Formats: sequence, structure tokens, C-alpha cells
Amino acid sequence: MTNQTTKELHSGSREGGDIVLRTISLSKRFGKLEAVKDLNLEVRRGEVFGFLGPNGAGKSTTVGMLLGLITPTAGNIELFDRKFENNQWASLRRVGAVIEEPAFYPYLSGRDNLEALARAIGGISRAKIAEVLELVGLQERAADQYGHYSLGMKQRLGIASTLLRDPELIILDEPTSGLDPAGMKEIRNLLPRLAQENRTVFLCSHLLHEVEQVCDRVAIIKQGVMLICAPIHELLAQGQMLQIKVDDPAQAVAALSALPWINSVKRENDYIIVDAPKDSASRVNKVLGEHNIFPSELTTHSVSLESVFLQLTGGDSSD
Amino acid sequence: MTRLISAELFKLRKRSMTWVLLFVLIGIIVVFYLVLLSIAHGTQGIGQGSEPTQNMLGLSMVTPFVLSLLFPFGIILSVIVITSSIGTEYNWRTIRTMLICSESRLKLLCAKLIAVGILMLIGMVIGIAIGFVMSVITTAIGGYAFDFRFATGEYLWNQFLQFWRSFYVLIPYVLLGFLFAVIGRSSIPGIVLGISEFLLESMITAFLYSAGDWIAEIPKYLLTVNVNAINALGKVPVKVPVVSASSQMPGLPHAFATVAVYNLVFIVLAIYIFRKRDVTS
Repeated sequence: MTNQTTKELHSGSREGGDIVLRTISLSKRFGKLEAVKDLNLEVRRGEVFGFLGPNGAGKSTTVGMLLGLITPTAGNIELFDRKFENNQWASLRRVGAVIEEPAFYPYLSGRDNLEALARAIGGISRAKIAEVLELVGLQERAADQYGHYSLGMKQRLGIASTLLRDPELIILDEPTSGLDPAGMKEIRNLLPRLAQENRTVFLCSHLLHEVEQVCDRVAIIKQGVMLICAPIHELLAQGQMLQIKVDDPAQAVAALSALPWINSVKRENDYIIVDAPKDSASRVNKVLGEHNIFPSELTTHSVSLESVFLQLTGGDSSD
Repeated sequence: MTRLISAELFKLRKRSMTWVLLFVLIGIIVVFYLVLLSIAHGTQGIGQGSEPTQNMLGLSMVTPFVLSLLFPFGIILSVIVITSSIGTEYNWRTIRTMLICSESRLKLLCAKLIAVGILMLIGMVIGIAIGFVMSVITTAIGGYAFDFRFATGEYLWNQFLQFWRSFYVLIPYVLLGFLFAVIGRSSIPGIVLGISEFLLESMITAFLYSAGDWIAEIPKYLLTVNVNAINALGKVPVKVPVVSASSQMPGLPHAFATVAVYNLVFIVLAIYIFRKRDVTS
């Protein structure tokens, strides 16, 4: 699925949606380690929200707090406009979650695992169980023991379990962890379908490429501190540059460096990379023409989410 | 809450371990009856010892006999079931999945205890039923008379009370195993410490009694001595390893109250720890 088509599935959800999840100065300390510090997040209805950070950044701790598994040291969580600590269980009925590796009973079949959860939740029919199994493509292996499932099938069963109660918010912590490329693609294709019907997806992923493809907004944290939270298109636009190929790069660099509206100019092999407002390509071209420099190439040089991530986190790899 | 109990019973029913333990219980009862039958046959003609053994095989003794077997073996089997019920949730990391689906941590723990309690009661009923079958078979094989005159209202009432007393004395050991499984986040500490307490306390009690003076008073507040005092009401036809002499046994109100206090302490501690603690990976 292309970036464009993926985002079209939930277009219009980026701006103005009501807030389904809000954290206010959320903090968690384990002994001397401050795992999460003053985290302020807002996740809007209908969006796919990416939550990124290197290993030990505090992603899973945050997810644990959002699900009531970990008690915050300070701060508040609001789910569906209600204070979480006062309405924990009522709020969680509207949330589906898979935390890290999906965890189910190995002696039960896939269907029986969902049946056990359905009994615990209540009000879920067998038809619903069959429906979610079909949605994740597990209906043919539903009678097999969970212990015999491949990791990809386990992940799909995990996602099926989140859909049992038609959640308004789905929290997925590393849903592609340990999967082979085919399994990752499967899950990646499934995510936009989950975000349909005005559902919100909160995605912690160890694959930046995957996040770039499916998310509307991302937050990046490191050592428990949020570094940035922005729509993904804004984040990528920040790093957009002009890439120009000319016969005399030195003269071009000298000509462009003198302009006040250009942030920086640098040479990279045969190209010069110009950090300037993204709509400034024609102006740059005009300036170069005035100096009798005629570019043989002038393209927009986009950065990937990975570059932004590495820049912000100081070179740590994701996950 | 009923939803969570239903889910817990569903998981227990689908688990092969539950059935294996039930078959172990049935096996123990069958073996004991067969051993008694062979003893009764072996002592025939000798005179002494034959009659009490034959009586034990009789229908009137089924309930007290089976319930007396349940005390040592039922504790072990019940502790294994309850500690697995919570411990494997940690081992398989399903505790997080279940907590997200549960109305509260308190309700999840209570649902687990109630589900295992129901299973224990079913096990006791099945045990008594198997005892009846074995009694009928051994009575027939031994050529003894079938006599149902013992089944008076008073007899049935006494057996009913003994059934619940037997269930009551299993509870503290089950809760102790449960507490250790919650603390250790695994079945192993629950099984080891729950069963060890049952086995070691009898030995410790013997030393305390022999020490005399005020130290000899300590066992009155220990678990097994009080449990033995309650069990002694059952007029058990076979000797259970009761360490204390009947004169040293605490009174019944004291025994019931002490066991209740132990139950309360174990369950409150387990709930407190479970509710307070973060569930991390």
C-alpha cells in the first residue's frame, strides 16, 4: 500500500478531531530511574499516532500507564475526556491493546483464546469472534493450538483480540516485533484498515519506515522526555531541501550563501544542498540564472523519518 | 464478576492439567480402596484388625474416609491448581491481557479464587462419588452385606457438615499458595512454600510441644494444629498424621476463628500486593 493511499483511508482525521487520549505531565519513576518525565500527549479521534523512541526511552512504560498496568508517579491521564484513575475500567472497555509480544494461553486454540477473553469482557458473540478471526486471516487456523502458531499468526491473533470489543482506541506496542518482512507487510497492511470507522490507533513501532507509511502524527521520546510531537508531513517538511546540480558548484555556493532567506548551503558530491523555504525553488533558480549559472538538475530533497529520528535522538537506532 | 468467573472456569476446563489432577485424585481413592480390600482379605481369619478394615470399606464410611484422604492429597492438588491459575498468567505474560479485559484487579483475583473453589468442590463431590462406587465394588467383591440403614437424617446432616468442614480446612493452604504465587509471580514459590508449610508445620509443632512452658502454647496459634482440631470432628476412620494429642488441641471456636484469621490475612495480603504492584514486562 502506498504512502498516499494509506493516508487517504483516514484523511481529514489529522486536524480538529476530538481528543481521545491526553496525558498531562505524566511521569513514572522506578527507584532512581525516571522512566517517563512530564509527558504531555494528545491523540485525536481517527488518527494513527506513532510513538517512537530508542530502546529504554519509556514507550512501554507509557503504554503500561495508559492501560492501568503501571501506576504513574505523577501526572494524569485522560481517556475519552474522563480522568483515567477515576474511570479506569469503564475507559478500558473502549480500548483494545496488544503490548509487545502478544500473550495468550498456549494450551488453548486461537478461537478458544478469543472465547476466554470474550467471556471476561462479556457481551461478545461467537459470530464476532469468527468475524475478527476472518478479518486477520486466521479463520482456517483458528482451531490450532496457540502454542503452535508462528510469530506472525500470534501477532494477528493479538490484533484480533483488540477488535473483539470494537474499540475506539487501539494501542499497539511493537506489533511487528520479531516478524519477517512478509509478516511485517501483512501487519502494515492491516493497520490502515484498523484506523477506519473513526477508530484511533496508537502505534509504538520499531520500524520507522512503517510509521512513516501509516501514521498521521508522531511523538518521539528519549530517556522519558518527549523531543517532538508533530504531524508527520510537517516533520518531514522541516527537513526538505533543494538539491541542485550545476557545472560550477563553488560559484553557486557563493551566490546562494549571500542570500538572507537561505538557511544553509553545502556541497555533497556533485550536488549542492540548499536549506531554504520549500516553495523557494523558482527563486533559487532565478538567482542562479542572474549569476549565469544554469542548473542541470533542481529537485526537492526529502528526508526520511529515520533521518529526523536519528537527528533528534542523537544517532540511536529505533527500538 | 460472573463474566470473569466464567472465563476462569473456561480456562480451567480446557486445561489438561486440571483433568490430570482430577484423575490423580480418582487414582488415589481407587488405590486406597484396593489396598484396604487386600488388607481386609489378608486379615480374614486372623480375627483382629479385619473388622475395622471391613468397616472402612462399607458405604457408611465413604464420606468420612474420602474426606480424610482429601485432607493431605486435596491440599497438594488444590495448591497446584490455584498457584498455576495465577502463576502461569505471569509465566505466559497473559496477566496483562487479562487485566486489560477485567473490571478490576480485585475482581480478577476473586474470580480466580472462586473458580478454583468451585473446582475444588466439584473434585470433592467426584471423589465421594468415586468412593461410593469403590465401596460398592469392594463390598461386592468382599462378599459383605449391603446395608443402607446408616443413612439416617442425622448421618446425612453430619456428612454434609463434614464436607464443608473439609473444604474450610483446605482454604488456608490454598490461599497461602496463592499468596506466594502472587508474591513470586510464578507457580513454583506457591507450590513449594504452600505445600512445605503443610508438611513442615507438623514437625515444628512437635518440637514446640516438647519444649514445654510457654513455647508449647505457640502451636495453638499455628495453622495445622487448628486444622487438625476441626478435622477431628469428622470421626475419621483412618488415622491422619495428627501431631498434637487431643488434650493439646485448641477448642473448636478457637480453631475456626484462627483458621478464619489466617484466611483473611493471606487473602488481604495477596490482594494488597497484586493491586499495588506494577505489571511490567
